[in-house]
Amino acid sequence: MKNRQYSLKVLETTVDNEEKFIEFFNTHYPLFKDHLILIQGEISTEIESYLQEKKLKYINNITLPKGRSRKALEEELNLSTTNQIDSKEYDNIKKELEELKVENAVNQQIAQVDMRKAQEHIDKLSKKLNSNLTVMDNMIRSGREIDINGDLLLLNRVNSGATIKTTGSLIVTQVVEGSLRCDGNFMMITVSPKANIVFNGVEVDNKLLENKLNRIELRENKIHITPVIKKDINWA
Amino acid sequence: MGIVIAVISGKGGVGKTTATANLGLGIAKNSKKCIVVDFDIGQRNLDMILGLENRVVYDLVQVMNGEASVRQAIIKSKTDENLHFLAASQTKDKTVLESDKVKALVAELKAEYDFVILDAPAGIESGYEHTIEFADTAIVVVNPEVSSIRDADRAIGILDSKSQKVKDGEEVDKFLIINRISADMVKSGEMLRSEDILDILNIKLLGKVPEDRGVIDASNQGKPIITNKKSMAGQAYQRIASRICGNSVEMKDIENMNSGMFKKLTGMFR
Repeated sequence: MKNRQYSLKVLETTVDNEEKFIEFFNTHYPLFKDHLILIQGEISTEIESYLQEKKLKYINNITLPKGRSRKALEEELNLSTTNQIDSKEYDNIKKELEELKVENAVNQQIAQVDMRKAQEHIDKLSKKLNSNLTVMDNMIRSGREIDINGDLLLLNRVNSGATIKTTGSLIVTQVVEGSLRCDGNFMMITVSPKANIVFNGVEVDNKLLENKLNRIELRENKIHITPVIKKDINWA
Repeated sequence: MGIVIAVISGKGGVGKTTATANLGLGIAKNSKKCIVVDFDIGQRNLDMILGLENRVVYDLVQVMNGEASVRQAIIKSKTDENLHFLAASQTKDKTVLESDKVKALVAELKAEYDFVILDAPAGIESGYEHTIEFADTAIVVVNPEVSSIRDADRAIGILDSKSQKVKDGEEVDKFLIINRISADMVKSGEMLRSEDILDILNIKLLGKVPEDRGVIDASNQGKPIITNKKSMAGQAYQRIASRICGNSVEMKDIENMNSGMFKKLTGMFR
């Protein structure tokens, strides 16, 4: 016996209005061409021929088994205390869990048949993100002054003599040798012994930034520095 | 069509003019037609270092104002016939430069020579901006010390925003020469390491030149150090010139070379 397990994407829908149905599939064809279409209710010959013409695979009036939530499964399998399970079995279960997770996501997708509404929602969210977060990956050379209204994620160095000002939070993943002025909720920066850092009007002692990535926060008018990524351990 | 190279540094006294003179001569020795142009209006030095002090009749500003033709102003080097030189004015100052005149001159030189090397003035004022404006490539000269690195960083920043090539949507190639490296001081940690400098500036390394006592004397005599085959700095400039001409020359690890006489002696008895 040969067994194979697949996860596939299913679009569950009903035909209330034939014209609207066809129009929907015309506009969203690239999105759903690899989905299995599950149609609840009667299918007219017109719809049938349309689906065949578009080469869409479909099934009719079937209740599909729905995936359970990951949490429920984990509880059932009691993964946290199963020390006896050997690694192969563990991997299998993990794989299955991942598959179920995908299926879950599909089920959620099915629930949102009205794609337009979802798209609008996503658009709104990304716009909100766009207006607040700036991502930069170029080097900030000496003499440059970056003034950001919002949050900034900087993926390169800040050289000596450069200045960065943000009204929002600031994350710099590389060494900072210039000055930072941040008025946001938090800062995340690496070990930067030459940096001049002012956070919400308070100068930060950069000797305290000893970890690979440090989070600086202001709580009750006091600056708290906590490690995010600890120092690299050199085993050699 | 030649390549226009601007030699820049930001900070003064790091060896821009010395590098320009040596590289000009080195490129000429590789049998390429090369012209070095002194853009340091008001503070010309290149003529002295090349030993052409007494031959200057017309200068850059006179050429740009139409008082003399390029042909009249160009001086041929005594040491190599492939090397030509255009002097800066000593009486005017940097404000006399104008964008369109610089453009016309650079275009004229570019058509005639394989390499046009522009010696930029120190600082980042208008004179510097005019030098880099029409350059295809920049050679950044630094010393292994923090002030030089920061000034070079600033100069590169300006290059990346004000050059004509950048405005046209292209990128200016930038190469680094680390000048006056003292192996002993790097080893003892007193001098910045090349890796750190490259990390900060993030441009390609063209070569390293060791500290050499002979350089000052060579400049005073008007015979660039590259003509001295025994000099470490001269050899370094030869390698760099060869790289500019498109040959692949291995990078020498100057920081780990035993250069001192004393070390050679102690090495013998070991």
